[in-house]
Amino acid sequence: MSAITSAESGIGTFAGRRTWITGHRGMLGSALVRSLTKEGADLLLATHQELDLVNQSAVYDWVEKNRPELVFHVGAKVGGIHANATFPADFLYGNLLIQTNVIDAAHHFGVKKLVFVATNCMYPAIATQPISEDSLMTGAVEDNIRSYAIGKIAGIEMCRAYRKQYGCNFVSVIPPNLYGPGDNYHPQYGHVVAGILRRSHEAKLAGKRELVVWGDGTPRREILHVDDAADAMKCVMAAPMTHDMFNVGCGHDLSIAELANLIAEVVGFEGSIVYDKSKPNGTMGKLLDNSRIRALGWRPKFDEKTGLQNAYADFLELLETPIRNGRF
Amino acid sequence: MDKNAKIYVAGHRGLVGTALARKLQKEGYTNLLFRTSRELDLRRQAETEAFFDQERPDYVFLAAAKVGGILANDTYKAEFIYDNLSIATNVIQAAYRSGVKKLLNLGSACIYPKFAPQPMHEGLLLTGPLEPTNEAYAVAKIAAIKLCRYYNEQYGTNFISVMPTNLYGPEDNFDLENSHVLPALIRKFHEAKISGQKSVVLWGTGEPSREFLHVDDLADACVYLMQKYDHKDLGEFVNIGVGKDIKIKDVAELIKRVIGFDGTIHWDTSKPDGMPRRLMDTSKIHALGWKHRIELEEGLKSEYQWYVRSA
Repeated sequence: MSAITSAESGIGTFAGRRTWITGHRGMLGSALVRSLTKEGADLLLATHQELDLVNQSAVYDWVEKNRPELVFHVGAKVGGIHANATFPADFLYGNLLIQTNVIDAAHHFGVKKLVFVATNCMYPAIATQPISEDSLMTGAVEDNIRSYAIGKIAGIEMCRAYRKQYGCNFVSVIPPNLYGPGDNYHPQYGHVVAGILRRSHEAKLAGKRELVVWGDGTPRREILHVDDAADAMKCVMAAPMTHDMFNVGCGHDLSIAELANLIAEVVGFEGSIVYDKSKPNGTMGKLLDNSRIRALGWRPKFDEKTGLQNAYADFLELLETPIRNGRF
Repeated sequence: MDKNAKIYVAGHRGLVGTALARKLQKEGYTNLLFRTSRELDLRRQAETEAFFDQERPDYVFLAAAKVGGILANDTYKAEFIYDNLSIATNVIQAAYRSGVKKLLNLGSACIYPKFAPQPMHEGLLLTGPLEPTNEAYAVAKIAAIKLCRYYNEQYGTNFISVMPTNLYGPEDNFDLENSHVLPALIRKFHEAKISGQKSVVLWGTGEPSREFLHVDDLADACVYLMQKYDHKDLGEFVNIGVGKDIKIKDVAELIKRVIGFDGTIHWDTSKPDGMPRRLMDTSKIHALGWKHRIELEEGLKSEYQWYVRSA
């Protein structure tokens, strides 16, 4: 359903373009800021204190006043499995409101193109791998992440609907697990890479012999460095609208055991990794089919090892930072 | 539900809302709260929150929605998803914030996958792709079901959702561009009869079958559930239907008879048929002690009288 029949021209370069990045303080948003700043984009950024995306009239007023030409809609209420399970109403309510406000205001005030970030967890829990964009809504989603996933499905559907009715160039990208500078290393709210990285580091410092990882180590995870994800979003923004959804993964995955070993190696933890099989495995695999975005010419720049080295360097830097914004 | 409890019927001018208001008044509920969309735009967050904070209803029937037939759904996708998502998020959040005791959220059969096995039971939600023409509307309705569920889980609210099958009844929309199958058929036969046409052309083969529920029966079910059951008894949501279907060609013959049209029906088989069968599995609502009362022929007679009076 997501093929676009007539390919319009893309937006070209970013220099001087009025570009709004929602959620610019988050991991992905700040990666976009770094990258677009280098390209000379005219960035429009509002902190949460300046603009609460959940507040409908505030969003419309802000967009009317600032008149962005391009929008990277990254801002969302995010969190790991624990946060999703504990606050499902807050996640769904917040994310539905944020995206209805941003998408509708973008249409209302003539935004030329908008790239919306969804998530690989909105694909069915059981899907043929690698997962193509067309698998959306072909089966039930993972139970423990569903409220976040439903919100993202609604966002993708909104972009499609605005495109169909109004001809808006609104397009969605679906990244896998992101990691890298700006990641959240909070023990409860962090994702898989951040969690193992922090605990490997702490185990190393404490001189522990063992590091415990949840599950049996066999589930597979595709991870993507956040700079590569930002790069992919720019590529989708700049390219003609060939489709209304793009998976942006590196195209291969690692088992949790392979990932844990690689992180331990990067961190320099020399003990052994022990699997706590009494804990849930989570989804068994979620490798994205990236052929659409590859057809646009995008390729990831980091392999997992170099990417993780870069992430660990950022982590060490964060440890030296007095204000950690809840990331630790 | 006490007879003097404050009950807000959101969308009281629509097909479902008017039936709910009739039913509640008939049952002796005296403190009903209504707002037209001009008085209160439920798509506006600040207005909706101010209304709930000020009025503090005890019970809410969420029947406000942007609705329409296949063509409208397909043409105005953005409005269907935006309006319905905004209404649901604003009302559900405001109901939680203002301490509403119980809320009943009205959905639609189109939340089910296009190729769902028939009859469709509640467990089939999100198990396959939706019908593309009304996907935007359906996604908004699915989001509303999930909102109710997660507010219950996180905040201990008592928000229930019901999924009615195809509805008909007074206040139905007879506009040919926007209407559903029954009102469209009634209007076609009525106009053919008035203008003395010899035949009526209908799309497809007439072979597909559909299920139709009179809106007064739906209102009856909603009030029944509101009075008797909590979300814990219902699960995520419950289907409301009659549990049996009828072929479109049999419906057409029935309407032809009710209206008294003497001409013939010509089926234009070059036109698409749609899905062969759409029918709700009603075992859950039956197990909860509710069953429909109005049979199709009786319901069509009153609908036709209403149409003639209002036309």
